[in-house]
Amino acid sequence: MSEPPLIELREVTVTSGGYDALAEASASFPEGRSTVIMGPSGCGKSTLLKVAAGLVPPDRGRVLYSGEDLFGLSARRMHALRAASGFVFQDGALWENKSVFENLALPLQIHASSLARTDVEKKVARMLERGGLADSANLRPAQLSAGERKIVSFLRALMNEPSLVYLDEPTVSIDHVAAEKIGLMIRELKARGCSIVAVTHDSRLASTLADRMVVLSAGRVLAEGEFDAVKSNGDPRVRGILSQVLGEIASFDTDLLELLDTHEN
Amino acid sequence: MVAALGRWANRKARDLSYALGFFFQVISETVLFMRRKQVAFRVLVLQILFTGVEAMGIVSLVALSIGAVIIVEGGTILPRFGQTSLLYSILIVVITRELGPILTAFIIIARSGTAIATELGNMVVSHEIEAYMSVGINPISYLVVPRVLGVTISMMALTVYFNFFGLVGSFLVSQLVNPVPFGEYFRELLATITPTDILSTLLKSFLFGVITSVVATFQGFKVSLSVTEIPRAAIKAVGQGFVLCFIANALITVISYV
Repeated sequence: MSEPPLIELREVTVTSGGYDALAEASASFPEGRSTVIMGPSGCGKSTLLKVAAGLVPPDRGRVLYSGEDLFGLSARRMHALRAASGFVFQDGALWENKSVFENLALPLQIHASSLARTDVEKKVARMLERGGLADSANLRPAQLSAGERKIVSFLRALMNEPSLVYLDEPTVSIDHVAAEKIGLMIRELKARGCSIVAVTHDSRLASTLADRMVVLSAGRVLAEGEFDAVKSNGDPRVRGILSQVLGEIASFDTDLLELLDTHEN
Repeated sequence: MVAALGRWANRKARDLSYALGFFFQVISETVLFMRRKQVAFRVLVLQILFTGVEAMGIVSLVALSIGAVIIVEGGTILPRFGQTSLLYSILIVVITRELGPILTAFIIIARSGTAIATELGNMVVSHEIEAYMSVGINPISYLVVPRVLGVTISMMALTVYFNFFGLVGSFLVSQLVNPVPFGEYFRELLATITPTDILSTLLKSFLFGVITSVVATFQGFKVSLSVTEIPRAAIKAVGQGFVLCFIANALITVISYV
């Protein structure tokens, strides 16, 4: 018998403000693989990501974590899941009333409470060094640029060395340098076998990241599966969305990955 | 018409069950808060600092003013009816039993109730609450419970402080209007005050603290999508806080003295 996927959504519906942000959406996210969720703006990608992360409960349908109901997990199991996962929000979602140091230290204080204060300080300093923000520990999020905020948000998600990471547009609305840094860290995560679920419009990031792909439109999953299979999907709606999302690239009848790799080099 | 009424009743029932669910979760997390090793302890200390310590100035001023007004009015009117001795009863009834708790509640609702609702509303809109959840922090445990405890502790302490300052203020003004010896003044007050007065004041301040903080945090969390909801949440925190405190005040007075 095959292992159940790490995260599985079964006919999930989420209603928000009188309309269905997700409508009977089903998708699965296997362990150790990277799945990219794509679709036009406002189609429910972020909602799907948050449902998969257990942050937004569905109005109908089920979300399974290793075969168990995610929203029925015991407090202890949920705590363990949170320790093993990280979430990067589209707008950073940094805690504005805390310093950068406190933003990074809090996940450690929650999940590694036995760590001495000096160890926490060392680990935060190491992470800030990694993100190129070694001098920013005492700043407030409001004093950071958009790119720096995104990097801090990314570092916060990595504080507990998670094996599952959710990324909501990790490189959108930030400068090239910050996007490069985040892209590098995402590639490192992938290289060490971390399970990644990402929403992105960034074709370069998608090309280097995606093992699998989910295509969404108006809250419905149009296609889901291996990246190669989805990009060669014959459904004109899927091709239209990929073309729209990835720009001109996907509309060519060529290998998307090759083309994107060429762009990168 | 009937359908609209049904929808309204349905919405109200849902809102009520949500509010009750929120309240019971706050209670259960408050019990657990005492037993856990909490990183939220710092939030509690900051809340006491903001709600209690920083409000001492304005509470002192209001209490002194009220004490002064009572002593001046009472000292002018009561002798005309030969009832000067009633002044101490009036001081206890007005300051200790009634105005002390309710005015302290008003001050805290206006300062901290609005601040809490606004802060939490902003945190919802900027996804900070979801960020807490994503790292395994229960927002009720980390954000609500320390605020409820902080506001309740501050409310009780400030009410005692208000009473003390109100009675001291009335003594100071009495020295200008109709000087009374210090010993006699406080002996008369102590002879007038009853254990029921003290218990009633403490019970009121405890309930007002719970009401103010739970209403403010609840309204803050009810903000869902937009920053335009935040001022509405703050207004509701004040309005509902006032109304519920008035009702609780009347109920406790009736239970205690009728």
